[in-house]
Amino acid sequence: MKKKMMALVLASTMAASLAACGGGGGQTAETTAAAAGGTETTAAAAADGAETEAAQPAGDGSGLVYWSMWEATEPQGQAIQAAVDKFTEDTGISVDLQFKGRTGIREGLQPALDAGTAIDLFDEDIDRVNTTWGSYLMDLEDLAKAVDYEATANAGLIAACREVGGGTLKSIPYQPNVFAFFYNQTIFDEAGITKAPATWEELDAACAKIKEAGYTPITCDDAYITCMFGYHMSRLVGEPKTEEIVKGGQWDDPAVMATAEAYADFASKGYFSDTIASNVWPAGQNQELAMGTAAMYLNGSWLPNEVKDMAGDDFVWGCFSYPAVEGGTDGVDAANYGAQVLAINKDSKNAENAFKLICYITQGEFDQMLSELSIGIPADSNNSEWPALISCVKPVMESMKTRYPWAAGAEANADMTPIIKENFLKLSGGSIDAQGFVDALKKAGN
Amino acid sequence: MAKMKRYHEPVNWKKELRLAPGYLILVLWITFTFVLLGWVLLASFSTTKEIFSNKLLASGLHFENYVKAWINSDVAGIFRNSLIYSIISCSLLILICAPAAYVLARFVFPGNKLIQTGFVSAMGVPVVMIVLPLFGIVASMGILNNVLSNAVLLVFLYIGINIPYTTIFLMTFFSNLSRAFEEAAAIDGCPPTKTFWLIMLPMAQPGIITVTIFNFINIWNEYFISLIFANSDQLRPIAVGLYSMINSMKYTGDWAGMFAAVVIVFLPTFILYIFLSEKIIAGVTGGGVKG
Amino acid sequence: MKRNKGMIILFLSPAVLMFSIIFLYPIVRTIIMSFFKIDGITDPVARWQFTGLANFTKLAQTSLFRISMWNLLRIWLIGGIIVMSLALLFAVIITSGIRFKSFFRAVIYLPNIVSAVALATMWLQYVYSPKFGLLKTVFSNLGLTALSKVQWLDNDHKFMALLLAYCFGMVGYHMLIFASGIERISSDYFEAATLDGAGRLQQFRYITMPLLKGVFKTNITMWSVTSVGFFVWSQLFSTVTADTQTITPMVYMYMQIFGAGNSVTERNSGLGAAIGVLLSICVVAVFWLCNILLKDDELEF
Repeated sequence: MKKKMMALVLASTMAASLAACGGGGGQTAETTAAAAGGTETTAAAAADGAETEAAQPAGDGSGLVYWSMWEATEPQGQAIQAAVDKFTEDTGISVDLQFKGRTGIREGLQPALDAGTAIDLFDEDIDRVNTTWGSYLMDLEDLAKAVDYEATANAGLIAACREVGGGTLKSIPYQPNVFAFFYNQTIFDEAGITKAPATWEELDAACAKIKEAGYTPITCDDAYITCMFGYHMSRLVGEPKTEEIVKGGQWDDPAVMATAEAYADFASKGYFSDTIASNVWPAGQNQELAMGTAAMYLNGSWLPNEVKDMAGDDFVWGCFSYPAVEGGTDGVDAANYGAQVLAINKDSKNAENAFKLICYITQGEFDQMLSELSIGIPADSNNSEWPALISCVKPVMESMKTRYPWAAGAEANADMTPIIKENFLKLSGGSIDAQGFVDALKKAGN
Repeated sequence: MAKMKRYHEPVNWKKELRLAPGYLILVLWITFTFVLLGWVLLASFSTTKEIFSNKLLASGLHFENYVKAWINSDVAGIFRNSLIYSIISCSLLILICAPAAYVLARFVFPGNKLIQTGFVSAMGVPVVMIVLPLFGIVASMGILNNVLSNAVLLVFLYIGINIPYTTIFLMTFFSNLSRAFEEAAAIDGCPPTKTFWLIMLPMAQPGIITVTIFNFINIWNEYFISLIFANSDQLRPIAVGLYSMINSMKYTGDWAGMFAAVVIVFLPTFILYIFLSEKIIAGVTGGGVKG
Repeated sequence: MKRNKGMIILFLSPAVLMFSIIFLYPIVRTIIMSFFKIDGITDPVARWQFTGLANFTKLAQTSLFRISMWNLLRIWLIGGIIVMSLALLFAVIITSGIRFKSFFRAVIYLPNIVSAVALATMWLQYVYSPKFGLLKTVFSNLGLTALSKVQWLDNDHKFMALLLAYCFGMVGYHMLIFASGIERISSDYFEAATLDGAGRLQQFRYITMPLLKGVFKTNITMWSVTSVGFFVWSQLFSTVTADTQTITPMVYMYMQIFGAGNSVTERNSGLGAAIGVLLSICVVAVFWLCNILLKDDELEF
């Protein structure tokens, strides 16, 4: 009796106070059942049970699990999906392709690998895969040799992969990119600049002409401002030294002062956008560069794709590597060029199939498709036709000899990055001078 | 929008005049809100170029943003998932937390302060520190292999992660209720358990509905747990779907599409909220149980 | 008391049980981790390196972390005052018997349920824009040329810009809590008070305020919890790399656990755990303080 009463009370209170929740306790059981039924059928239909095998230790050899950094709706995701579909159609091997997105991969991959989740292959940035997740990677030298993979691969990138992989090939690059100055060719023509600047003096002269013509020579956003610092430093003293300075807090190094002076000089000449100190990404690239009020922007080769909706079809892109600095160590053949890379889990039992899938994605038809859809650089050297928007990048990419890491070492010390960023923004905005910049860094210590 | 609740009382000008400063403040704030949110709405109908050159709608309405956002992802599926997760979790959360909150607020017993402190400190621990170690255990137990058990696990986590919040939240509402009610009930011979369900719980209704709204929206927007634990596309809730839409639009420079995606996801949430908040009015003024 | 024992156990056990299953292990693990140097957050214990209090001393010596704590304090205090006063004001107005109450309430709460990504983009690219921003337009129409030329997103103003944008979204949430607290004060009290001849202000002072103590406590606790977790807005106001004006301990923690920005930097999840411990202590301290300062006197009517 008592129990029955409790149940009654419970039910009525639920009905009264939780009606707001869209249904009481009685209904939830039904919805769960319905939902479960629904998802199960879709899952079964989707990948003939690949789902249920996903987390079992791979070993039955029946399917591949691929965690991707892209979103299913991105061009890259669509191209990869197409490659995977073709792969499954040709080989009969099912692939559980999970688009985890950048956050999902960056934050979720390592815990999943640590827990022994069977992930056969995954992708991310070349440095992160090889450095952060280096201990999870399979050596791909033999697999690559077996299919003579390097015959059609970009030699420079493969070499870069070997370099960051500790001497052996542990990852396969695709979606290459390079970091350089991107400019509006129309403004350059109007200002009468016939040759892209290769030295700091030439850049200075070009900026003067652009300013004369009534445009903002250089703009930037907060997200990329440290790159300017890094590239200038690395042109002066080389990247390893830049990294040493940044990590060790050697702000007394004359290169820091020289860099600051160069930028203070440009700032005083009015070469930077009026709003450079307050541009929060994507204000500079979207509102200034793409709209045709600013001429140059130091960024990756993904930039034309990111701003294509704003820039319009008649925007003509130009590209030149960060100019050389007088008396500097590095020339224009050094920059951050890299790629996304695919890697195979060292515990994968399906390595050969996984590598075959990698070939599908990074070679021939689907590499071409990836490049076209995402307006990116193709990885397969046979795909020599680059999308028109970025064809200007080709000579720059092909001239690269020395590889910098991201931001040319300027962001090597996470504790300093925001401080460099703050003060370099101020320096470019003209609110502090070179000495003020150096002092601020020194004050922050580490 | 179900905004105008018809009052049958005649307009009392004296009363309205007295409230005039209140109206003024609210109208100012709301105008501001409308300008800001209106911008988002207009942006979702413009082109990206218009957004960044301050010429919203200059070339008319662009419904294709919505079409693109809609067909690009399984919007219906992620909505269904979120709805199921939220409804189940919210109901169970009240069933689990209301009694606990009542006991913690009402009775003095050893361990009471300890439990409260435990709950509060748990809220201060960053979610990553909770979620990733748990993931390690769960993944090695093999629960994620099966879609159904994965779904149950998700709901279990949504509930568990919100227990401290809901309990602490509800405590206030119980602690402020007058003890006279329980005393009266006790005199009438009503056992304390029954008193709770029949008298105290209904009296805490504004609190319960408020916390349910928050829980609903929390779970509806929950991102990190779902991202890490939903091991299959079929299980993804709205927030993960939205972020993947937003990200792909941002990285391809389609900002108009991004705003459209945000609006698509926002609208049902808003309708749900209106529905829920109507219930508050109904619960408080519509007779029901009064304190 | 005795006859309640069964009830206490019965009522508490589901919540406490689930809490323990989900939180106990991660919390204990986090506390232990804070004394070790650990690369990845899920690294096996064998790879942990005991470093004692090194993580905590390192944090104390890192100027960027100190900056992030300072930002957190500013967000909590300045933002808290702004949000709490506006929320209470709106809640009082809304429950004072005005018309269109549910409409007003819905609109004030609205920003809280719009995705932060859209709101932040709106603030950054529209409201604060130095080219065509809302602020610029309003100020130049008012003839305040000096104010209209301010670059709201440069280093000197970025923090306040971020804080205002964030508070705008949070007011509705705390208003709802206040309003439900005021509503819960049964109208009987007010009726009785009116019968006794108490005026409106008196009612507010002697009925609403004391009975709202508990709600204040909830609001402050919740505000502290969300402030401590301040992350998304900070990231949206400074994409890719952190910014001295917007960095919070949570952002710093992410940098330590997952690496900072696009570059591969040294990771130390132990340091991240130490931050988690510190933040948690902050929340508990605020909660205790509230309990002491806003003690629920037994209010009997």
